[in-house]
Amino acid sequence: MHPLVRTPQRLALYFGAWIVVGLLIALIFVLTWGIDFLRALAATEPLALAYGVVCLSALWVSRTLPLDRTPLLKLLSGWLGAAVQASAVWVAIGTLWSVLLARSDVIHASRAELLVGLSVLFVIGVPLYFASLVIHYLLLTFEASREAERRVLETEVTAREAEVRALRAQLHPHFLFNSLNSINALVGSDPEGARRMCESLGDFLRRTLALGARDGVPLAEELALVDQYFAIERVRFGERLTVERYIETGAERCVVPPLLLQPLVENAIKHGIADRLEGGTIRLAAVVVDGALRLSVENDVDEDARSRPGEGVGLQNVRRRLDALSARETRLDTRREGGCFRVTLTLPARPAQGGRAHA
Amino acid sequence: MREAAGRMTAVVVDDEAPARALLREYLGVRPDVAIVGECANGFEAVKTIAEAKPDVVFLDVQMPKLNGFEVLELLDPGPVVVFCTAYDEYALKAFEVHAVDYLLKPFGRERLAEALARVRARLQEGAAAPPGPKPADLATTARPPGRWVERLLVKDGAHVHIIPVEKLDFLEAQDDYVALHAEERTWLKTQPLAELTAGLDPARFVRIHRSYVLNVERLSKLELYAKDSRVAILKSGKQLPVSRAGYARLRELM
Repeated sequence: MHPLVRTPQRLALYFGAWIVVGLLIALIFVLTWGIDFLRALAATEPLALAYGVVCLSALWVSRTLPLDRTPLLKLLSGWLGAAVQASAVWVAIGTLWSVLLARSDVIHASRAELLVGLSVLFVIGVPLYFASLVIHYLLLTFEASREAERRVLETEVTAREAEVRALRAQLHPHFLFNSLNSINALVGSDPEGARRMCESLGDFLRRTLALGARDGVPLAEELALVDQYFAIERVRFGERLTVERYIETGAERCVVPPLLLQPLVENAIKHGIADRLEGGTIRLAAVVVDGALRLSVENDVDEDARSRPGEGVGLQNVRRRLDALSARETRLDTRREGGCFRVTLTLPARPAQGGRAHA
Repeated sequence: MREAAGRMTAVVVDDEAPARALLREYLGVRPDVAIVGECANGFEAVKTIAEAKPDVVFLDVQMPKLNGFEVLELLDPGPVVVFCTAYDEYALKAFEVHAVDYLLKPFGRERLAEALARVRARLQEGAAAPPGPKPADLATTARPPGRWVERLLVKDGAHVHIIPVEKLDFLEAQDDYVALHAEERTWLKTQPLAELTAGLDPARFVRIHRSYVLNVERLSKLELYAKDSRVAILKSGKQLPVSRAGYARLRELM
């Protein structure tokens, strides 16, 4: 729908203006030929409204000739061309209209009078079209700025949402509930253990919040957090949880987005440990290859596990965060093979300040 | 069974050792409760509960292999169930399968005492209690909302077989059983065919005959056998009758 007449208010305003134009033209005719005002009005109002419709074509002109990107000469010639054509169309409509008026005995104009009348239409048609152009350009600018505002707002909301989602993914509430239950159990049988668990849980939460507030952290810090997480989960899963790690010295110094590994490790615990009778091994690896940091988290999977089409929320979040970082330089690959599931993240190996990446 | 002294017998099922230790501690000091079994997973639970026939089962929901609801599906109706989980989203389902209580981890002694009081009340109601839910209800409850059944469970003595639905060739009604044909083997499940089919993805499983439900991915071709009667030839070469209504359902899907 044409934006100028999209709402009933705009429609009324636009054609209201054209009714006024019709009134003025009727006045010209009354003054020129001294014809009856009402008859003149009956002749000119439909003409004015018809030209109102013709002038809506200025939208197309204003869209094809944007003010900021069109050479002045092309702009002027384009406008003039469009105005003359529109005016000519109006004259043609006027000619047909005069025939109809004569047939229905409203106004009988002589050939000379008709010529004068049509000339008047043509002469005022051009500036009227220019007026319409001005309105359309204003409208486009207005809508563009509103659109830009909306987009800025949308981006902000999306960013905020991503943040909240990321936080939620990092701090799965059930992790807290289960940990509290473990503490509850330890209080009776192993009060010292319960204290240790409270301490680790507190440390883990504090570190999570601190890391989450930063833009990038050395991998070593991220891994320390993951270790703390494993320590807490080991109370729940006992012997069922085994962790192996292979971390290159250089890789440890690379900067990574904070809490990127957390959802992957959580998934690994869920599918590789919690869903398996005998538990399993989680393998973490970090290497630098050709200037790229490759992080992988691998867990055993149960053959009887329900097949899961697509990716879970955790993996999607990580993918989204990597894309936001740089869709070109980062990758997330998943692979299920021989009873193992592996997620590999590839991101540019940037050494932390004060350190040097080992390539 | 109830002990002579009037103590109620309990089985504790949880895959996490601390969670079991907690219940052991809480229940251990109660003179009116005797723990007769502890299980770390669903398989053990099915076996232990069938053998020990406890009055009450404290059952975790999320466990490896079989979840709590699946364990119930495989049991003859009998024990009163108290779910113990960190997840509140199963509460509704738990009461649909007539669980007597739903303990959210972490929980304290008082909350457990409340649950035990309810268990006792349910046990005293005895025969007046509402009949237990049917296995089919449990099967529907055990699956995530809005999703179709992903696997079927069959109890074979003390063994539990898990059959992913994509491995099924066809299902065949046999008296009170359904014969599940998958990977050149046949398993028998006690459940009417219609009930079992209700949980299966209708885009994959079609009832082609009063007694047969076919996994359409196994279909090789259809042949006209007589007027209005067709036969489905599976990729394995096996032939199954197709009724008129069954043919219409197949046509609709293709």
